[in-house]
Amino acid sequence: MSVFKELTKGIIRENPTFVLMLGMCPTLAVTNNAINGCSMGLATLFVLAGSNMVISLIRNVVPKKVRIPCYVVVIAAFVTVVDLLMQAYAPAAIYQALGIFIPLIVVNCIVLGRAEAFACKNGIIASIADGIGMGLGFTLSLTVIGGIREFLSTGSLFQIKLIEGWAHPFMLMGQAPGGFILLGILLAAINWANRRKAKKAGRPWSPPGIDCYQCNLCDLGKK
Amino acid sequence: MSSENVKLTPLVVSTGLISCVATALMAWVFVVTEAPIAAAQQKKNTAALSQVLPAFDNRPTQEAVTLGDVTFYTARKDGQITGFAGETVTHKGYAGEVCVLAGLKPDGTLTTVLVTRQSETPGLGTVVAERVRQKTLSGILAGKKETGLPPNKILDQFTGMKAEAGQTPWAVKKDGGDLDAIIGATITSRAVGGAVFTIAETFAAQRATLLTGNTGSKD
Repeated sequence: MSVFKELTKGIIRENPTFVLMLGMCPTLAVTNNAINGCSMGLATLFVLAGSNMVISLIRNVVPKKVRIPCYVVVIAAFVTVVDLLMQAYAPAAIYQALGIFIPLIVVNCIVLGRAEAFACKNGIIASIADGIGMGLGFTLSLTVIGGIREFLSTGSLFQIKLIEGWAHPFMLMGQAPGGFILLGILLAAINWANRRKAKKAGRPWSPPGIDCYQCNLCDLGKK
Repeated sequence: MSSENVKLTPLVVSTGLISCVATALMAWVFVVTEAPIAAAQQKKNTAALSQVLPAFDNRPTQEAVTLGDVTFYTARKDGQITGFAGETVTHKGYAGEVCVLAGLKPDGTLTTVLVTRQSETPGLGTVVAERVRQKTLSGILAGKKETGLPPNKILDQFTGMKAEAGQTPWAVKKDGGDLDAIIGATITSRAVGGAVFTIAETFAAQRATLLTGNTGSKD
């Protein structure tokens, strides 16, 4: 696939949140408002691109049987370095906004998932493009979910109050259960739209899920 | 996984090698960034102090004194003491530590109160602790520009209050006192109120020591 295709596939067609269903935990945790969602997405984008690049660089050096522990070490080291560099050199306002999210990225399944599914099998440029694409898709989905939750629970968007005197905020949306419910509703809507499109084109379609083909962590998914 | 004869050595060597390289890289970056991180932290502390202290020309962080649970910073202008800032950490927050910084006039009257560190519930406890400028769409379209510290109903109520040494602690209205609290964030309100009282009361008790400035530690 061309580099451009690698870049754009992560945004809609293989969106990490709604199609690959990876990284659900930080999705629910940081989307209580749009700015947090956007910041986490951008920080993850940077780590994704960087760790994909590093793992693609060392992919021929690492033996297959220990690749997962090695990737985890690489990702954790990369995130630590990013955190230290940000603490030292980033403007105080940016570090204050993004700082708490950086350590959370290590446990984000998207990073390890893309390393395992793509970076260990493809060249450096393609891996970086894949990382950036997935990061953009993640940022998009986090910002959308965060925006909806923020608007429903506080009447503001990106911390700008749109409706003054909002008297009946939907508090549930600001807490974790609301995030779960909203995610479910959005997934249902996307699946319904995709199924209609596939039916019109006469294609068979099944909802995306955590199936072995996507996971790639062991040999069960291979035919 | 089949139990065929696996050659352990290359696995161990490569994993060990990658771990060593990663650790070396992290250690190197840590050493390189140690000084800039300390400088950035220092800048952050000074910025917070500038918000609660009147104009000063000394380095309050270098005139810090810890008495009991409170650390006091002295602000001087032209050699005269213009004010103090008291900082204390309370563990009575809803979700851990709450660090409160309060400005004090030399007579012990509170001026500005800031919460510098907290991890309270967003939307409830943070309403007590955070000073966030509420931006509205109509305000932005009208081009309104607001300056100064954003207001906070709970933190601003302490301005002008003063404690006497050995006084009974201030309490929120729910506990029979006079302090306002946010409904749904009583614990956070109590924690902040308690911390501010600790600062004010410790200052009143130690006023003489602080005003003479002979407290010794100049680190």
